[in-house]
Amino acid sequence: MKNRALVIAGLSVLIFFGAIWADHRGTVPVPLVPTAQGHCVLPTALMRREHMMLLRRVREQIVRDGKHDQADRLTTCIACHVQTTATGASIPINQHGQFCAACHTYVGVHIDCFACHATVPQKAIPIADLGQTHGEQAAYRIPRVILQHAPALIARGHS
Amino acid sequence: MSDERTELGSDEAPDQGHDPSRRRLLALAGGAVAATLMPGVTLFARTLSIGSGKTPVRFGLLVDTTKCTQGCNACVSACQDYNGLSKDPGPDNAQWIRKVTITDPHTGFTRSFPVMCQHCAEATCVDVCPTGASFRRPDGIVLVDKHRCIGCRYCIMACPYKARSFVGRVIKDQKPWAPRGKGTAEGCTMCVERVANGKVPACVAACNDKGEKAMTFGNLHDPKSEIAKSLARFSTTTIRADLGLRPGVHYRGI
Repeated sequence: MKNRALVIAGLSVLIFFGAIWADHRGTVPVPLVPTAQGHCVLPTALMRREHMMLLRRVREQIVRDGKHDQADRLTTCIACHVQTTATGASIPINQHGQFCAACHTYVGVHIDCFACHATVPQKAIPIADLGQTHGEQAAYRIPRVILQHAPALIARGHS
Repeated sequence: MSDERTELGSDEAPDQGHDPSRRRLLALAGGAVAATLMPGVTLFARTLSIGSGKTPVRFGLLVDTTKCTQGCNACVSACQDYNGLSKDPGPDNAQWIRKVTITDPHTGFTRSFPVMCQHCAEATCVDVCPTGASFRRPDGIVLVDKHRCIGCRYCIMACPYKARSFVGRVIKDQKPWAPRGKGTAEGCTMCVERVANGKVPACVAACNDKGEKAMTFGNLHDPKSEIAKSLARFSTTTIRADLGLRPGVHYRGI
Protein backbone atom coordinates (compact mmCIF):
# COMPACT_ATOMS: atom_id res chain seq x y z
CA MET A 1 0.00 0.00 0.00
CA LYS A 2 2.80 2.36 0.94
CA ASN A 3 4.68 1.47 -2.28
CA ARG A 4 1.69 2.20 -4.48
CA ALA A 5 1.34 5.73 -3.06
CA LEU A 6 5.02 6.33 -3.71
CA VAL A 7 4.76 5.17 -7.31
CA ILE A 8 1.75 7.40 -7.98
CA ALA A 9 3.48 10.39 -6.42
CA GLY A 10 6.63 9.73 -8.44
CA LEU A 11 4.70 9.45 -11.71
CA SER A 12 2.79 12.62 -11.00
CA VAL A 13 5.99 14.55 -10.40
CA LEU A 14 7.49 13.09 -13.57
CA ILE A 15 4.48 14.07 -15.68
CA PHE A 16 4.29 17.53 -14.12
CA PHE A 17 7.92 18.41 -14.72
CA GLY A 18 7.92 16.62 -18.04
CA ALA A 19 5.11 18.85 -19.21
CA ILE A 20 6.92 21.96 -18.01
CA TRP A 21 10.10 20.81 -19.71
CA ALA A 22 8.33 20.04 -22.98
CA ASP A 23 6.61 23.42 -22.92
CA HIS A 24 9.87 25.15 -22.10
CA ARG A 25 11.43 23.71 -25.27
CA GLY A 26 8.98 25.84 -27.22
CA THR A 27 6.57 25.14 -30.03
CA VAL A 28 7.19 24.76 -33.74
CA PRO A 29 7.30 28.27 -35.19
CA VAL A 30 4.36 29.22 -37.40
CA PRO A 31 5.63 29.12 -40.97
CA LEU A 32 6.33 32.25 -42.92
CA VAL A 33 4.31 31.65 -46.06
CA PRO A 34 5.62 33.54 -49.09
CA THR A 35 3.02 35.93 -50.48
CA ALA A 36 1.88 35.81 -54.09
CA GLN A 37 1.37 38.52 -56.63
CA GLY A 38 -2.17 39.28 -57.71
CA HIS A 39 -5.49 38.15 -56.32
CA CYS A 40 -6.48 34.68 -55.27
CA VAL A 41 -9.67 33.03 -56.52
CA LEU A 42 -11.00 32.96 -52.95
CA PRO A 43 -10.30 34.83 -49.69
CA THR A 44 -7.22 33.57 -47.85
CA ALA A 45 -9.09 32.11 -44.87
CA LEU A 46 -11.33 30.16 -47.21
CA MET A 47 -8.41 28.95 -49.31
CA ARG A 48 -6.58 27.65 -46.23
CA ARG A 49 -9.52 25.47 -45.34
CA GLU A 50 -10.92 24.59 -48.73
CA HIS A 51 -8.07 24.57 -51.26
CA MET A 52 -7.93 20.79 -51.38
CA MET A 53 -11.63 20.64 -52.18
CA LEU A 54 -11.18 23.20 -54.93
CA LEU A 55 -8.27 21.32 -56.44
CA ARG A 56 -10.11 18.02 -56.27
CA ARG A 57 -13.11 19.51 -58.02
CA VAL A 58 -11.09 21.23 -60.71
CA ARG A 59 -9.00 18.16 -61.46
CA GLU A 60 -12.16 16.15 -62.14
CA GLN A 61 -13.42 18.89 -64.44
CA ILE A 62 -10.19 19.08 -66.38
CA VAL A 63 -9.12 15.44 -66.61
CA ARG A 64 -12.47 13.70 -66.86
CA ASP A 65 -14.80 16.32 -68.32
CA GLY A 66 -12.20 17.90 -70.59
CA LYS A 67 -12.97 21.42 -69.37
CA HIS A 68 -9.42 22.70 -69.45
CA ASP A 69 -10.20 26.41 -69.31
CA GLN A 70 -10.20 26.75 -65.52
CA ALA A 71 -8.73 29.66 -63.60
CA ASP A 72 -8.39 27.81 -60.29
CA ARG A 73 -6.30 24.90 -61.56
CA LEU A 74 -3.03 23.83 -59.98
CA THR A 75 -0.85 25.30 -62.74
CA THR A 76 -2.28 28.79 -62.22
CA CYS A 77 -1.86 28.45 -58.43
CA ILE A 78 1.80 27.61 -58.96
CA ALA A 79 2.35 30.36 -61.54
CA CYS A 80 1.09 32.95 -59.04
CA HIS A 81 2.65 31.59 -55.84
CA VAL A 82 6.07 30.57 -57.11
CA GLN A 83 9.08 32.50 -55.80
CA THR A 84 12.05 33.40 -57.94
CA THR A 85 15.73 33.56 -57.14
CA ALA A 86 17.86 36.67 -57.63
CA THR A 87 18.66 35.44 -61.13
CA GLY A 88 14.98 35.11 -61.96
CA ALA A 89 14.78 31.32 -61.88
CA SER A 90 11.65 29.81 -60.34
CA ILE A 91 12.09 27.96 -57.04
CA PRO A 92 10.14 24.67 -56.91
CA ILE A 93 6.89 25.27 -55.00
CA ASN A 94 7.40 22.13 -52.90
CA GLN A 95 10.91 23.07 -51.79
CA HIS A 96 11.57 23.75 -48.10
CA GLY A 97 9.98 27.04 -47.02
CA GLN A 98 8.14 27.58 -50.30
CA PHE A 99 4.41 28.15 -50.59
CA CYS A 100 3.15 24.57 -50.50
CA ALA A 101 5.90 23.08 -48.37
CA ALA A 102 5.88 25.77 -45.66
CA CYS A 103 2.38 24.95 -44.45
CA HIS A 104 2.38 21.25 -45.22
CA THR A 105 5.56 20.71 -43.23
CA TYR A 106 4.08 22.67 -40.32
CA VAL A 107 0.83 20.72 -40.19
CA GLY A 108 2.53 17.43 -41.04
CA VAL A 109 0.28 16.65 -44.00
CA HIS A 110 2.04 14.80 -46.80
CA ILE A 111 0.97 15.68 -50.34
CA ASP A 112 1.94 13.72 -53.42
CA CYS A 113 0.76 16.25 -56.00
CA PHE A 114 4.32 16.85 -57.06
CA ALA A 115 5.16 13.23 -57.71
CA CYS A 116 3.50 13.93 -61.07
CA HIS A 117 2.90 17.67 -61.35
CA ALA A 118 5.52 20.21 -62.34
CA THR A 119 6.75 22.35 -59.44
CA VAL A 120 7.68 25.41 -61.50
CA PRO A 121 5.65 27.18 -64.19
CA GLN A 122 6.74 26.89 -67.77
CA LYS A 123 5.45 28.78 -70.74
CA ALA A 124 7.42 27.74 -73.79
CA ILE A 125 5.97 24.97 -75.87
CA PRO A 126 8.72 23.97 -78.25
CA ILE A 127 6.51 22.85 -81.10
CA ALA A 128 6.00 24.77 -84.31
CA ASP A 129 2.29 25.32 -84.75
CA LEU A 130 2.12 27.04 -88.11
CA GLY A 131 -1.30 28.32 -87.16
CA GLN A 132 -2.73 24.84 -87.42
CA THR A 133 -6.04 24.43 -85.71
CA HIS A 134 -8.52 21.63 -85.77
CA GLY A 135 -11.53 23.91 -85.56
CA GLU A 136 -13.17 21.96 -82.76
CA GLN A 137 -12.12 23.99 -79.77
CA ALA A 138 -15.65 25.29 -79.33
CA ALA A 139 -16.66 21.94 -77.90
CA TYR A 140 -14.44 22.43 -74.88
CA ARG A 141 -14.31 26.20 -74.59
CA ILE A 142 -16.41 27.02 -71.59
CA PRO A 143 -16.89 30.31 -69.79
CA ARG A 144 -14.75 30.66 -66.71
CA VAL A 145 -16.83 29.79 -63.69
CA ILE A 146 -14.50 30.47 -60.83
CA LEU A 147 -16.57 31.18 -57.79
CA GLN A 148 -19.71 29.24 -58.51
CA HIS A 149 -19.50 27.42 -55.21
CA ALA A 150 -18.00 30.24 -53.15
CA PRO A 151 -21.24 31.91 -52.00
CA ALA A 152 -22.41 28.61 -50.55
CA LEU A 153 -19.19 28.17 -48.59
CA ILE A 154 -19.32 31.73 -47.30
CA ALA A 155 -22.96 31.26 -46.32
CA ARG A 156 -21.91 28.24 -44.27
CA GLY A 157 -19.70 30.52 -42.22
CA HIS A 158 -16.35 29.61 -43.70
CA SER A 159 -15.09 33.11 -44.35
CA MET B 1 -25.41 -1.81 -68.69
CA SER B 2 -26.90 -0.79 -72.00
CA ASP B 3 -28.03 2.50 -70.52
CA GLU B 4 -24.55 3.15 -69.28
CA ARG B 5 -23.23 2.68 -72.81
CA THR B 6 -25.65 5.29 -74.06
CA GLU B 7 -24.61 7.66 -71.32
CA LEU B 8 -20.94 7.29 -72.15
CA GLY B 9 -21.71 8.25 -75.70
CA SER B 10 -21.07 5.06 -77.59
CA ASP B 11 -20.20 6.93 -80.68
CA GLU B 12 -21.38 4.88 -83.56
CA ALA B 13 -24.41 2.92 -84.63
CA PRO B 14 -26.73 1.51 -81.97
CA ASP B 15 -25.44 -1.44 -79.98
CA GLN B 16 -26.74 -4.80 -81.02
CA GLY B 17 -28.36 -5.35 -77.65
CA HIS B 18 -30.80 -2.49 -78.14
CA ASP B 19 -34.31 -2.93 -79.35
CA PRO B 20 -34.68 -0.52 -82.29
CA SER B 21 -38.26 0.34 -81.45
CA ARG B 22 -37.22 1.32 -77.95
CA ARG B 23 -34.56 3.56 -79.42
CA ARG B 24 -37.10 5.26 -81.64
CA LEU B 25 -39.30 5.79 -78.64
CA LEU B 26 -36.43 7.38 -76.79
CA ALA B 27 -35.62 9.55 -79.77
CA LEU B 28 -39.19 10.75 -80.00
CA ALA B 29 -39.15 11.70 -76.36
CA GLY B 30 -36.32 14.13 -77.02
CA GLY B 31 -33.08 14.91 -75.25
CA ALA B 32 -33.57 13.12 -71.99
CA VAL B 33 -35.79 10.32 -70.83
CA ALA B 34 -36.77 9.69 -67.25
CA ALA B 35 -38.48 6.67 -65.78
CA THR B 36 -39.77 6.67 -62.25
CA LEU B 37 -38.78 3.41 -60.57
CA MET B 38 -40.34 4.16 -57.21
CA PRO B 39 -41.24 7.32 -55.37
CA GLY B 40 -38.15 9.49 -55.16
CA VAL B 41 -36.01 7.29 -57.42
CA THR B 42 -35.84 8.32 -61.05
CA LEU B 43 -33.78 6.77 -63.79
CA PHE B 44 -32.47 9.21 -66.36
CA ALA B 45 -31.22 8.20 -69.76
CA ARG B 46 -29.51 10.74 -71.96
CA THR B 47 -30.14 10.13 -75.64
CA LEU B 48 -26.92 11.65 -76.86
CA SER B 49 -26.15 9.14 -79.57
CA ILE B 50 -29.65 8.98 -80.98
CA GLY B 51 -30.49 10.99 -84.04
CA SER B 52 -27.30 11.19 -86.08
CA GLY B 53 -26.14 7.98 -84.38
CA LYS B 54 -22.83 9.65 -83.52
CA THR B 55 -21.38 11.89 -80.87
CA PRO B 56 -20.75 15.41 -82.16
CA VAL B 57 -16.99 15.13 -81.71
CA ARG B 58 -14.66 12.19 -82.01
CA PHE B 59 -11.06 13.15 -82.37
CA GLY B 60 -8.90 10.94 -84.53
CA LEU B 61 -5.80 10.75 -86.66
CA LEU B 62 -5.08 9.70 -90.19
CA VAL B 63 -1.55 8.60 -91.03
CA ASP B 64 -0.72 8.51 -94.72
CA THR B 65 1.98 5.84 -94.76
CA THR B 66 2.64 6.49 -98.45
CA LYS B 67 4.19 9.81 -97.39
CA CYS B 68 5.87 8.73 -94.13
CA THR B 69 9.56 7.96 -94.63
CA GLN B 70 11.73 5.55 -92.73
CA GLY B 71 14.43 8.04 -91.76
CA CYS B 72 12.05 10.69 -90.38
CA ASN B 73 11.50 10.80 -86.63
CA ALA B 74 9.91 14.24 -86.29
CA CYS B 75 6.69 13.03 -84.66
CA VAL B 76 8.50 11.00 -82.00
CA SER B 77 10.89 13.81 -81.28
CA ALA B 78 8.10 16.38 -80.96
CA CYS B 79 6.18 14.11 -78.58
CA GLN B 80 9.22 13.78 -76.37
CA ASP B 81 9.85 17.53 -76.40
CA TYR B 82 6.30 18.55 -75.70
CA ASN B 83 5.48 15.95 -73.05
CA GLY B 84 8.88 16.05 -71.36
CA LEU B 85 9.79 12.44 -72.11
CA SER B 86 13.40 11.33 -71.97
CA LYS B 87 15.22 11.27 -75.28
CA ASP B 88 17.86 8.84 -74.02
CA PRO B 89 17.46 5.37 -75.41
CA GLY B 90 16.99 3.13 -72.42
CA PRO B 91 14.98 0.18 -71.16
CA ASP B 92 12.63 2.37 -69.11
CA ASN B 93 12.16 5.43 -71.29
CA ALA B 94 8.59 6.04 -72.35
CA GLN B 95 7.46 5.70 -75.95
CA TRP B 96 4.07 7.31 -76.25
CA ILE B 97 4.62 7.19 -80.00
CA ARG B 98 7.10 5.01 -81.89
CA LYS B 99 8.10 4.50 -85.48
CA VAL B 100 7.42 0.99 -86.75
CA THR B 101 8.70 -0.51 -89.99
CA ILE B 102 6.83 -3.40 -91.53
CA THR B 103 8.01 -5.61 -94.38
CA ASP B 104 6.14 -8.24 -96.34
CA PRO B 105 8.69 -11.08 -96.56
CA HIS B 106 7.14 -12.40 -99.77
CA THR B 107 7.16 -9.20 -101.77
CA GLY B 108 9.65 -6.99 -99.94
CA PHE B 109 6.96 -4.28 -99.59
CA THR B 110 8.11 -1.98 -96.79
CA ARG B 111 6.33 0.78 -94.92
CA SER B 112 7.36 2.95 -91.99
CA PHE B 113 4.79 4.73 -89.86
CA PRO B 114 4.15 5.94 -86.32
CA VAL B 115 2.09 3.90 -83.85
CA MET B 116 0.66 5.40 -80.70
CA CYS B 117 -2.43 4.91 -78.53
CA GLN B 118 -5.15 4.18 -81.09
CA HIS B 119 -7.89 5.82 -78.96
CA CYS B 120 -10.28 2.94 -79.55
CA ALA B 121 -14.03 3.25 -79.32
CA GLU B 122 -14.08 -0.13 -77.55
CA ALA B 123 -10.86 0.40 -75.61
CA THR B 124 -9.67 -2.74 -73.85
CA CYS B 125 -7.66 -0.67 -71.38
CA VAL B 126 -10.89 0.97 -70.24
CA ASP B 127 -12.65 -2.39 -69.93
CA VAL B 128 -10.02 -3.94 -67.67
CA CYS B 129 -9.25 -0.96 -65.42
CA PRO B 130 -10.36 -1.83 -61.88
CA THR B 131 -10.52 1.75 -60.61
CA GLY B 132 -11.96 3.70 -63.52
CA ALA B 133 -8.65 5.48 -64.01
CA SER B 134 -8.44 4.39 -67.62
CA PHE B 135 -11.34 6.11 -69.31
CA ARG B 136 -12.62 7.42 -72.61
CA ARG B 137 -13.73 11.01 -72.87
CA PRO B 138 -16.91 11.86 -74.76
CA ASP B 139 -14.72 13.30 -77.53
CA GLY B 140 -13.06 9.92 -78.04
CA ILE B 141 -9.71 10.56 -76.37
CA VAL B 142 -8.62 7.67 -74.13
CA LEU B 143 -6.73 8.81 -71.05
CA VAL B 144 -5.33 7.66 -67.73
CA ASP B 145 -6.69 9.62 -64.78
CA LYS B 146 -3.55 9.32 -62.70
CA HIS B 147 -5.38 10.49 -59.60
CA ARG B 148 -7.23 7.19 -59.67
CA CYS B 149 -4.52 4.92 -61.13
CA ILE B 150 -3.16 2.38 -58.67
CA GLY B 151 -0.44 1.12 -61.00
CA CYS B 152 -1.84 -2.39 -61.44
CA ARG B 153 -0.70 -2.53 -65.10
CA TYR B 154 -3.85 -4.31 -66.32
CA CYS B 155 -4.25 -1.77 -69.11
CA ILE B 156 -0.69 -2.35 -70.24
CA MET B 157 -1.41 -6.06 -70.54
CA ALA B 158 -4.78 -5.53 -72.23
CA CYS B 159 -3.69 -3.11 -74.95
CA PRO B 160 -2.99 -4.96 -78.22
CA TYR B 161 -1.02 -1.96 -79.53
CA LYS B 162 1.44 -1.84 -76.61
CA ALA B 163 0.49 1.80 -76.27
CA ARG B 164 0.51 1.96 -72.49
CA SER B 165 3.59 1.88 -70.30
CA PHE B 166 4.37 2.07 -66.61
CA VAL B 167 6.41 4.72 -64.85
CA GLY B 168 8.75 2.79 -62.61
CA ARG B 169 11.03 5.53 -61.39
CA VAL B 170 10.71 8.92 -59.74
CA ILE B 171 10.26 11.54 -62.47
CA LYS B 172 11.50 15.09 -62.22
CA ASP B 173 11.13 18.18 -64.41
CA GLN B 174 7.73 17.30 -65.77
CA LYS B 175 5.96 19.71 -68.07
CA PRO B 176 3.04 21.53 -66.40
CA TRP B 177 0.75 20.37 -69.21
CA ALA B 178 1.86 16.73 -69.03
CA PRO B 179 1.94 15.45 -65.44
CA ARG B 180 3.48 12.00 -65.08
CA GLY B 181 4.87 10.19 -62.10
CA LYS B 182 6.04 6.96 -60.55
CA GLY B 183 3.51 4.22 -59.99
CA THR B 184 1.03 5.11 -62.72
CA ALA B 185 0.29 3.90 -66.23
CA GLU B 186 0.63 6.37 -69.07
CA GLY B 187 0.31 6.68 -72.80
CA CYS B 188 -0.43 9.05 -75.65
CA THR B 189 -2.91 11.70 -74.51
CA MET B 190 -3.50 13.09 -78.00
CA CYS B 191 -2.00 16.23 -76.43
CA VAL B 192 -5.27 17.08 -74.65
CA GLU B 193 -4.01 20.46 -73.45
CA ARG B 194 -3.14 21.48 -77.02
CA VAL B 195 -6.39 20.11 -78.40
CA ALA B 196 -8.34 22.00 -75.73
CA ASN B 197 -6.70 25.18 -77.00
CA GLY B 198 -7.62 24.47 -80.58
CA LYS B 199 -4.20 23.19 -81.62
CA VAL B 200 -3.34 19.89 -83.24
CA PRO B 201 -1.26 17.30 -81.34
CA ALA B 202 2.50 17.85 -81.22
CA CYS B 203 3.26 14.89 -83.50
CA VAL B 204 0.90 16.20 -86.20
CA ALA B 205 2.29 19.73 -85.94
CA ALA B 206 5.85 18.43 -86.24
CA CYS B 207 4.99 16.12 -89.13
CA ASN B 208 3.51 19.02 -91.05
CA ASP B 209 6.38 21.30 -90.13
CA LYS B 210 9.53 19.20 -90.35
CA GLY B 211 8.21 15.89 -91.63
CA GLU B 212 6.42 14.66 -94.68
CA LYS B 213 2.93 16.06 -93.97
CA ALA B 214 1.70 12.52 -93.46
CA MET B 215 -0.51 13.08 -90.43
CA THR B 216 -3.97 14.63 -90.20
CA PHE B 217 -5.83 15.37 -86.98
CA GLY B 218 -9.48 16.23 -86.69
CA ASN B 219 -13.03 15.38 -85.86
CA LEU B 220 -13.97 12.04 -87.41
CA HIS B 221 -17.65 12.77 -86.92
CA ASP B 222 -17.69 16.08 -88.76
CA PRO B 223 -18.22 15.29 -92.45
CA LYS B 224 -16.75 18.68 -93.37
CA SER B 225 -13.45 18.13 -91.56
CA GLU B 226 -10.30 17.44 -93.56
CA ILE B 227 -9.80 14.07 -91.90
CA ALA B 228 -13.37 12.92 -92.54
CA LYS B 229 -13.10 13.94 -96.19
CA SER B 230 -9.82 12.04 -96.57
CA LEU B 231 -11.29 8.97 -94.88
CA ALA B 232 -14.28 9.11 -97.23
CA ARG B 233 -12.06 9.50 -100.28
CA PHE B 234 -9.22 7.05 -99.73
CA SER B 235 -9.00 3.43 -98.77
CA THR B 236 -7.78 3.32 -95.20
CA THR B 237 -7.56 0.76 -92.47
CA THR B 238 -6.82 0.49 -88.79
CA ILE B 239 -4.18 -1.69 -87.21
CA ARG B 240 -5.59 -5.05 -86.15
CA ALA B 241 -9.02 -4.06 -87.43
CA ASP B 242 -9.98 -7.71 -86.86
CA LEU B 243 -10.11 -7.06 -83.11
CA GLY B 244 -13.11 -4.80 -83.61
CA LEU B 245 -11.91 -2.12 -81.21
CA ARG B 246 -12.70 0.63 -83.72
CA PRO B 247 -9.55 2.72 -83.24
CA GLY B 248 -9.57 6.45 -83.80
CA VAL B 249 -6.22 6.29 -85.60
CA HIS B 250 -6.50 5.36 -89.25
CA TYR B 251 -3.75 4.40 -91.68
CA ARG B 252 -3.58 4.76 -95.43
CA GLY B 253 -1.34 2.58 -97.56
CA ILE B 254 -0.76 -0.48 -95.38
